[in-house]
Amino acid sequence: MTRTRKPGVSRRATLAMMSAGAVTFATPWVARAQAKTIKIGMPTILSGRVAQLGTSSRNAVMLEIEKVNAAGGLAGRQIEMVIRDSKGQPQEAARVARELVNTDGCEILIDAEASSGAFAVHEVARDLGVLCIHTNSETSALTADPKQHIPNAFRTARQGVHDSIVGGSYAAAIAKAKGLKKWATCSPDYAYGRDTTGEYVTYLKRFAPDVEIISESWPKLFQPDYTEVVTKILQAKPQALYSCLWGGDLTSYIDQANIYALFSQMEVFAVNMADYTALTVVKNLPKGIHSGNRYIKTYPATPENAAWGDAYKAKYNEYPTNWSWENATAIMLLAEASKKANSADGKKIAEALRGLKIKSPFGADGTVTMRAEDQTLVGYAIGWGTTIPQEPYVPQVQAGDWKTIFELEAEWKKSKGYT
Amino acid sequence: MTELQAEQAAVVPRIESQSQRSRYRDVLIALAAFAVLAILPMLTGSKALLDFVIRCSAFGLFATSLNLLVGFTGMVSFGHGMFFGLGAYGFGLIMQRSGLPVPVAFVATLVITTLIAAVIGAICVRLKEIYFAFVTLAFQMLIHSTILSWVSLTGGDQGLRGGIPRPAFFGVDLSNHVHLYITSCALLVIGLLLMRQIAQSPFGYTLRMIRDNATRASFIGIDVWRAKLTIFVLAALFASTGGIIMALFVSGAYPEFAYWTISGEGIFINMLGGVTTFLGPMVGTVLLLILNDTVTRLTEYYGIVLGIVILFFAIGLRKGLMDFVVEWYARRRDGSGE
Repeated sequence: MTRTRKPGVSRRATLAMMSAGAVTFATPWVARAQAKTIKIGMPTILSGRVAQLGTSSRNAVMLEIEKVNAAGGLAGRQIEMVIRDSKGQPQEAARVARELVNTDGCEILIDAEASSGAFAVHEVARDLGVLCIHTNSETSALTADPKQHIPNAFRTARQGVHDSIVGGSYAAAIAKAKGLKKWATCSPDYAYGRDTTGEYVTYLKRFAPDVEIISESWPKLFQPDYTEVVTKILQAKPQALYSCLWGGDLTSYIDQANIYALFSQMEVFAVNMADYTALTVVKNLPKGIHSGNRYIKTYPATPENAAWGDAYKAKYNEYPTNWSWENATAIMLLAEASKKANSADGKKIAEALRGLKIKSPFGADGTVTMRAEDQTLVGYAIGWGTTIPQEPYVPQVQAGDWKTIFELEAEWKKSKGYT
Repeated sequence: MTELQAEQAAVVPRIESQSQRSRYRDVLIALAAFAVLAILPMLTGSKALLDFVIRCSAFGLFATSLNLLVGFTGMVSFGHGMFFGLGAYGFGLIMQRSGLPVPVAFVATLVITTLIAAVIGAICVRLKEIYFAFVTLAFQMLIHSTILSWVSLTGGDQGLRGGIPRPAFFGVDLSNHVHLYITSCALLVIGLLLMRQIAQSPFGYTLRMIRDNATRASFIGIDVWRAKLTIFVLAALFASTGGIIMALFVSGAYPEFAYWTISGEGIFINMLGGVTTFLGPMVGTVLLLILNDTVTRLTEYYGIVLGIVILFFAIGLRKGLMDFVVEWYARRRDGSGE
């Protein structure tokens, strides 16, 4: 027993330190007076693997906030953004969201978290009753599942099921035209990858019933080496390949598959290809990869969209991402709703948001709508096209049909027991 | 021989009365600490402070229980976070699916944790040092992957969604922030007190002996495997309780709770606070959370700051803060006594 214990000391020291801690934490609590400025809190991912997307969310928000503030702010109150890093951890996202509301006095939350973090912030919004706009989570259940529904939470992101419907019908048309019957899939092994692939295949088979899946690969998320996956697919000799790999995974996959000339042997459908984060990083972008649009300044092919993309590029010296337009849309909707309600109060804005239709550079017909029944965004530009190796990367995008989307979405909701 | 026996006979009651006294003192300190924590909500309106204490309770229980393994028994577990995750998921799932009262779900979660910890422990505790560390890490990854792939039960990487229902029991309504706060404080104080009792009991001293010399311990008739397994399971129970508090705080459970980074955070907290004193990990928890919360307020380069702090403790102090304080105090007192 070499240890010397002086229990009295340690406790006193501990208590002293604890009270010091308590004091540090009590002080930031400044009276939350009805200030002239309105604070909007935004937890997002600014460090780690997807930091680039979090940063692009912040950039887009700041771009729009400047415009809103220049035009007088929310009902006459200037907006002050408080943006914090959640490191992509759900418990941190929940903590940061609570801190933003309880300590910093934020009256509105922009939840720029991915997947599980968004659900954690959703619970905070449920608990605190604060107006919350989810901007990045594309998981359909977040708004489709009535158990998740709360009157103060909205979503301005695309939705997984919309993507699958459009992707499935687009692919089925090509499958029929070119006689592509044997398909393979290759998607990351986690909920997004499995669900999205499952739904995509469902709709593909629905529109083209003689399609069969002959090979499935599920590489791990953030897997560095895809050799075995690529060779497995080549051996199965499919006529077409579907993948919902994204970001760095997709670019390393393409770089490695290029070595085996995979892209000349089959039609490839990669839903997340047409995003600048992937398009600009791939070394030799193969011609003719089919992809859904994420954000691309040439689709919708309107001057408004091109101007928005260029303004972003001019300010930040890089192109916007999928998360950028989704976050920008949140601010645009907030500003319009606040104008309509003539108030910056969260409850009144929420009231005005339900069913609100605004002009938007990202709308399929120049407008986007916050659907009242499930408080999620509809009418945004969604379509598929094929790649070329240089700008504009995806010259022709074939638009998805929102009428079909609505019909099939309603059917899907019924099948899930949501309605 | 007789002389020695007589000496021992005199020593035993003295030690006993001493431990009796220190036990009363521990209980008194625990009560006082609880009283201070309990009146906090009346003194301040800061919800952030209450949130902070709730998180401290969750991580404090987790880190202190890890120290029972690391500091007291010399078993460096890299997979302790799995029990944190198990607690969160077990409790969340029971509440979501069965609608049992909170205390029943709490006990049921602990029972499940006991069973799983006993199985994992039975395999792990035979191993030494790096092998023990790696096998615990392997089990942690196994549990994490199970959570990820068992989507129908756990919700996969999206976690348990839709909030954790919490019907009121005995007048305690855990959806009320202050009630949740008081409950967390109570669990923390009771948990720390129990762990303190374990550490100060003869069993606790057996653990220290195993840490210092396991061969010798087994030669004087101690069943080392059984003692190690017992403390492994007990530590898992307290970690699980920490997970339950965290699940209540975020009203959900996420796979990150069972990921190795949580175990890493536990080890880091222990490094920060010190492993030779009982309250070291608790101090480490408070430090880390203060650090985390203030640094993320100021910068997104959290990793750099944390790295520098680790370096400072590892290379500069070469021990945890509490170890440093205790030694410094001892030196000063000895100096002035001469």
